[in-house]
Amino acid sequence: MSERPDLDRYPELAPRWDRRQFIKSAAAGTLLMAAGGTLVRIAADDLTKKARADKRSDGRPRLPPGQRVLENLRAMGGQEGDGSVKTFALKVYGLCKTPFEVDYAGLLKLPTVTKAADVHCVTGWSMLGGEWKGVQVATLAEKAGVRGEARHVIFEAAHGFTANVPMKEATGDTSLVTWRLNGKPFPLQHGAPVRGLIPDLYFWKSAKWITGVRFVKDDIPGFWEVRGYHNHADPWKEERYG
Amino acid sequence: MAEIETAAQVVSATGSGWRVKLKKRWRAWLRALHRDIGYVAIGFTVIYALSGIAMNHIDDWDPNFHASERTLTIAPVPDDATDEDAVKLVATAAGTDGDTPTETLRAGDEVRLTYGSGTQVTAIGDTVTVQQRSSRFFFRVANWLHATRGKEAWKYISDVYAVLLLYLAISGLFMIKGKLGLRWRGTLLVGLGLAGPLAYIVLSGGPDAHKADPRTAGEPTRPADGIRMLPPEP
Repeated sequence: MSERPDLDRYPELAPRWDRRQFIKSAAAGTLLMAAGGTLVRIAADDLTKKARADKRSDGRPRLPPGQRVLENLRAMGGQEGDGSVKTFALKVYGLCKTPFEVDYAGLLKLPTVTKAADVHCVTGWSMLGGEWKGVQVATLAEKAGVRGEARHVIFEAAHGFTANVPMKEATGDTSLVTWRLNGKPFPLQHGAPVRGLIPDLYFWKSAKWITGVRFVKDDIPGFWEVRGYHNHADPWKEERYG
Repeated sequence: MAEIETAAQVVSATGSGWRVKLKKRWRAWLRALHRDIGYVAIGFTVIYALSGIAMNHIDDWDPNFHASERTLTIAPVPDDATDEDAVKLVATAAGTDGDTPTETLRAGDEVRLTYGSGTQVTAIGDTVTVQQRSSRFFFRVANWLHATRGKEAWKYISDVYAVLLLYLAISGLFMIKGKLGLRWRGTLLVGLGLAGPLAYIVLSGGPDAHKADPRTAGEPTRPADGIRMLPPEP
């Protein structure tokens, strides 16, 4: 490291010396913060280590590649709905013989299930083992009399958000329209009062503030899908970007 | 060389022989415009930079709100209680009985109370959950501006800002001549700046690098005979 010059004798060096000291301090501060953050993340990551050793019943690793485990859902933003249970209405329509709309109280009267499911956010976090209560999308499809030619499901949400999901995944055993996680209602930032749940695809497919389930023949890429994210979004294939 | 004080002065320099003047003074013109656009860009830059950092780490924190949740155990609301009594019971248990809820709903096993402040109180069986949140100072609005979703006019304003930033970046290349400019220091630092993203792309494998090996991760494993025994129904 260079020694401090005699700035009284050479005052013209002062600005340059101050600048150098500032850059050094800034660089050191940045490194220190980065190292601290990395240490905190490594130390708190036992959950991830444990999850990496687990397998799902279908043989796939429980934790998809590139994910780390968090204990709770993270709020990831989005244009929120009003969260009102009074005005909530879910429209189930499209290629259906008997399309219908159901309010919140009506939704709670449909055959409900509670399913344990892991969710995986495209930004790299996963939350494992949540107990999700809701109605299976398959139940909604059956009630609406979905026609055989339907191949995709478009989940519609507040402010025009959509997420497209192939019929197979949308009507899977753990694919729900859900209003409760671990016995608690969703706070507004997590989609209150009702959100979608498609746990085997990246979490953006699980539309928050859901307003509609539309069955269609041809695929219609959704909000994130037309903005560069993968159309299918399988976490085990790391289908993050299109 | 005389420093031009404002971009307007440059414009006023037009007239006879303006081409000669421009040729002589283009660097001063560039600097003056760089400086003035720099002043204009400060507000935008602070908003975009701070909210950019905030949203970059969205998987570590909620950059928009402080959220809190508490749960209480109560005697379950009796089935034969009227809706009004049910609301009173839950509000009293949650300690929100001083406020009037803007919305109440009793459906299934739930009693829900929503307040104007955004507080939501939900009783499910013997558990009352009180969910509250408050906006983060500065970040809520900065993030709202930064994420252009649904804000048509702001989309175009931010396009203008992006063009101004491009001007600042490109004009910055030519502001200083000689060794501190592109002849040595400038080229070196521009190279360093380009090397960062390029090195990251090369080392990380780029946007397709995360595609996992389909032989190991893509499909569920199946035994050779194609039959996988399922666990018995509970």
